[in-house]
Amino acid sequence: MAETVPAIAVRGVCKDFGGFEALRDIDLDIAPGTTTCILGPSGSGKSTLLRCLNWLEEPSAGSIRIDGAPIGRIGTGKAARPMDRRALAAARTRIAMVFQHFALWPHLTVLGNVTEAPVHVLGRPRREAEAEGRSILARVGLAEKADMYPHTLSGGQKQRVAISRALAMRPRVILFDEPTSALDPEMVGEVLGVIRELAREGLTMVIVTHEMSFARDVADTIVFMEGGCIREVATPHDFFTAPRTDRAKGFILRGSSTP
Amino acid sequence: MNGLQVVWENRAVFLWGAGNTVSLVLGCLLLSLPLGVLGAVVLTEAAAPLRRLLAELVDLLRCVPFLLLAYVVYYGLPELGLRLDSWWAGLVSLTLYTTAYLAEIFRSAFRAVAKDDIEAAQAFGLSRSLLYRRIILPQVAITAAPMIGNQIITTIRDSALLMIITVQELTFAANFVSANHFTPFAPFAAAVGLYLLLSLVVEEGVRRMERVRRLRYG
Amino acid sequence: MTWPAIRTILDGTVVTAALAAVSILLSLPLGLLIALLRWRRVPVVAGLLATVVSVVRATPFVTLVLFVYFILPSAGLELDPVPAAILALTLNTAAFSSEIWRSALQSFPRDQREAALAFGLSEAGTFTRIVFPQIWRANLGPLVSEVTILLKCTPAVAVIGVVEITRAASRVGAETYEPLPPFLVATLIYTALIAAIVRGQRVLERRIGRRFGAVSP
Repeated sequence: MAETVPAIAVRGVCKDFGGFEALRDIDLDIAPGTTTCILGPSGSGKSTLLRCLNWLEEPSAGSIRIDGAPIGRIGTGKAARPMDRRALAAARTRIAMVFQHFALWPHLTVLGNVTEAPVHVLGRPRREAEAEGRSILARVGLAEKADMYPHTLSGGQKQRVAISRALAMRPRVILFDEPTSALDPEMVGEVLGVIRELAREGLTMVIVTHEMSFARDVADTIVFMEGGCIREVATPHDFFTAPRTDRAKGFILRGSSTP
Repeated sequence: MNGLQVVWENRAVFLWGAGNTVSLVLGCLLLSLPLGVLGAVVLTEAAAPLRRLLAELVDLLRCVPFLLLAYVVYYGLPELGLRLDSWWAGLVSLTLYTTAYLAEIFRSAFRAVAKDDIEAAQAFGLSRSLLYRRIILPQVAITAAPMIGNQIITTIRDSALLMIITVQELTFAANFVSANHFTPFAPFAAAVGLYLLLSLVVEEGVRRMERVRRLRYG
Repeated sequence: MTWPAIRTILDGTVVTAALAAVSILLSLPLGLLIALLRWRRVPVVAGLLATVVSVVRATPFVTLVLFVYFILPSAGLELDPVPAAILALTLNTAAFSSEIWRSALQSFPRDQREAALAFGLSEAGTFTRIVFPQIWRANLGPLVSEVTILLKCTPAVAVIGVVEITRAASRVGAETYEPLPPFLVATLIYTALIAAIVRGQRVLERRIGRRFGAVSP
């Protein structure tokens, strides 16, 4: 079989926040249909990397391709020039995102949140988008909440709406930025359950998380970051049983003692 | 004749006008700041009938355009047997109006003082009047400074309407010079410049209070 | 007071209401435009607007009215009192309301904007579909206050001869040699108008609160 095009290809990405190097020369391929968990101590650059993938954060250098097509910048080296805004918006429709603090739009109903971008960005007929939205909400167990406003929901329900909003785009990839860290402990399970279900269905997902046992259970690939660099890329089994670097060893030890 | 020249030659008129604006506003503040505090205390502490009466009065005053209040005071006081010249009628109306707004500002500032501070003071046996004088007012003077600053600028702006009841303040002066010399731009620009200067002085005062606040309360 | 006298003041009321309505319809969008230009830091324009806004905010409204009415002819633009009054009211309220819009834009939650961009909404789409529907609701209180402040400003346009409530009342007073009664009637009318607006705002706010929860941004 010919080599498949990676769903996401990151090449030489650096991010400099006014003198602080948040990302240093990152290379990473994400294979289609896989779940990748990015682990690492806080401040290691994992969220910054995730936010670079859909260009919410503009890398200082390097390139990112989604399904082989560039995002954010066209061309390489000196010939590189920024994409125009419309092209960037179009590129972003292929990568959906789930935010740490949900970022639901409070003036729209649950269903409104889910159908907003499909109708107004992708131009799908409203009726069709609403039918699909309702079926997605039913899948995450929120069918009866479709016409409520976000402020009436619990944190776990909000995050499941946010996941539905991402699914409704029929994206190539979904990015999760610490999807459970703003939740009360008793709600973490319901959200992780939904994500686990999606992994089983073969969606391509990149998840920044602190939930070690979840990552071990759900990921096809673990990416371990520290100090703005990728230190290890491994299968969960290899990473958790035989980490190659001392830093990863230390991280796993500390991670298992503090939840 | 050149507009700037006209302004310069009539500088005495402008200074007289600006002097009246400043003396009206200062006189008004001298009266309405303590009255506003008193009003706020009544609005927070007094028994229901008095409190409700004052609340209605404050709300009513805040619904009236200032010019109308000035007219009613200017034409109404003589009916009550009180003959005042326009400057004094202006001062009375400006003070009434500003007091209503300040009372409301102080009242909400009182409410924002932390309950803990008040309970602590009561636990130490401070009387009601000591509580206001030593605990609440010093905090309010600083935290409400931006609101009070805004109100002072509003009062300066309102004072210009007193030209209509013939108080010779700054806008009156500009209008007078402009009408006598047929050069509208420079006199009004000069007046606007002086108003801007006054509001910059107020804003600087607020900024200094803010600095005090940051130093003391972080 | 006689019936014709009351008629005169009521005619003035219609003029006041029309002046206020037209000026609000012009000034709130203009204020929003100013706020957007300053918020996006459009070069030169943003700085210029900041200066104009602070000058207008420091200038008494009656002074602004006289300024607009007497200055514009020397710039070759002869305006009748009514358009001049509308222009002055619009400038004044646009300057003040732009500060409300600006602080609303500055405090709008960043993650909601990012979510919109992440889902491929354009900058314009993000503003019209996500930001604006929320900030107008969240700032209804201050914006309606601007409406009442504008109403309270309108008597000042009497100085350039617009026959609104106040000028109508002073006409009646001049004819009858009894200025106090017409001014009391005028005061009553203003109070009723403003109290009605404040009441309307409360009702609207309660409705929005019920539907969307506490308006936060």
